[in-house]
Amino acid sequence: MTTLHRRRRAAVPIVVALTLVLALLPASWLGWTADLADLVRIPVMPLAHVGTRLSGWVRPPMEPGDLPGEETERSAVAIAERDEYRQLYNQQRLRADELADQLRTLQGLPPTALRNPMPPLVLPMDITGINPSDPSSHVELKLMREARGRVVEGDLAVVGHDIVGRIARIGAIRVELRPIPNSETGLVRGAVMAAFPGANREPIPVLLKGDGRGALHGEVDARSGVVVGDLVVLDEPSWPAVGRGLVLGRVMAAAPMDEAPLRRALRVVPQRRARDQAWVIVLATGEGEQ
Amino acid sequence: MRWWILLIAAILGLAFDTGFAGILSLRAVGSITPTLMPVLLAFVALFAPAQAALVAAWILGLLVDLAPGEGQLPGGAHLIGPHAIGYLAAALIIVRVRTVVFRQQILTIAILAAGTVVVTGAVDAFLQLFRGFLPWTPPVSGAGMVALGQLLGTALYSGLLALPLGLLMVSTIGVWHFHAPSGRRATWR
Repeated sequence: MTTLHRRRRAAVPIVVALTLVLALLPASWLGWTADLADLVRIPVMPLAHVGTRLSGWVRPPMEPGDLPGEETERSAVAIAERDEYRQLYNQQRLRADELADQLRTLQGLPPTALRNPMPPLVLPMDITGINPSDPSSHVELKLMREARGRVVEGDLAVVGHDIVGRIARIGAIRVELRPIPNSETGLVRGAVMAAFPGANREPIPVLLKGDGRGALHGEVDARSGVVVGDLVVLDEPSWPAVGRGLVLGRVMAAAPMDEAPLRRALRVVPQRRARDQAWVIVLATGEGEQ
Repeated sequence: MRWWILLIAAILGLAFDTGFAGILSLRAVGSITPTLMPVLLAFVALFAPAQAALVAAWILGLLVDLAPGEGQLPGGAHLIGPHAIGYLAAALIIVRVRTVVFRQQILTIAILAAGTVVVTGAVDAFLQLFRGFLPWTPPVSGAGMVALGQLLGTALYSGLLALPLGLLMVSTIGVWHFHAPSGRRATWR
């Protein structure tokens, strides 16, 4: 009995040591933990799904503020229409700029450059798991049968006309969505648009990087005229083309930089977050299962 | 101890932490959200036999490490350790101090649950820092005082959550069969 007791006591440091070794392994050696996490999700996911639905119902996400000076009490239809036309407007302005550049430098354009991208499949996907205390941690979506093969890594997830993340991984039963401010997202090219579409200011390119704490940071020329409240839209050529012109966030701070007096540091905060929703729309670009 | 009861409680706890907890999230102050798993750990560590409490702590920590948004690494992998070791460390402390506290007082569970959050946060920070020194991991960058404030806020909020939940757990104590009939239940205070 005493020997058994001693063996059990000796097991604790061994388990701690083994866990410590696991904790220090490179990420590339821990791929199997994703499968283990899938197994853990099986009993948890249905209940957590009910929780996220209930959470979305009890505490609906805060709506982003409207344009400065405008009335906030608008009907949902009017807001949706406004967002749609704003996206189209921003998309066309970016497109016009791009075409103007190309026309200046190239004699002829390939016909495909003038065509719109193929419309992607719009798939509403339920959120089944979040880490509520970490604003930029991955969000888990339910992998539905019709989404298999259609949703591919890199696809965009949107709420309204705001990008809330990109698909980071597609597992056996779940899809992982990486919010844009996550530090793993990398550099994203955006364009700063004037808060008032009538301001007639050229789109200002900006490279943004997530800080892992819910915001994106970038720099612009101090004379560019960027002000707090301006919208930042996606202009990243390596991302799905359908996302161009969709909103990445709003400029919440434009502060002068001590180390570069001719530049301004921008802090961009997404207007909507996937973690506050019960479901998101994934703009699926895959071809589907054959 | 009935392990299947712990399994059910762990599933409910994980479901709460990854779904229902969003209802209680304080969005205006850094999304501070209470967590149920430390409350469950504090309860089990207070009443279960020492060895069972440590094993349960490690299992609960492992489950939390595999939960959505916890210890995310590239490629969907999860970092195993921050909670597995953190919960084990917290359970070791609770097992040591449980003979000198009033176990069935709800306030005891609340304070120990809040302490579990702090201990786990400290272990997490230590592991992340240590990983940052290794050649195969990128250097860490933390939020400093903001993260510390969020950790303390989470601990406090989880402690508050432990008041009603601890009461609920203590009321189910007979179901858990923590001690054999010849155990030390008579010494519970």
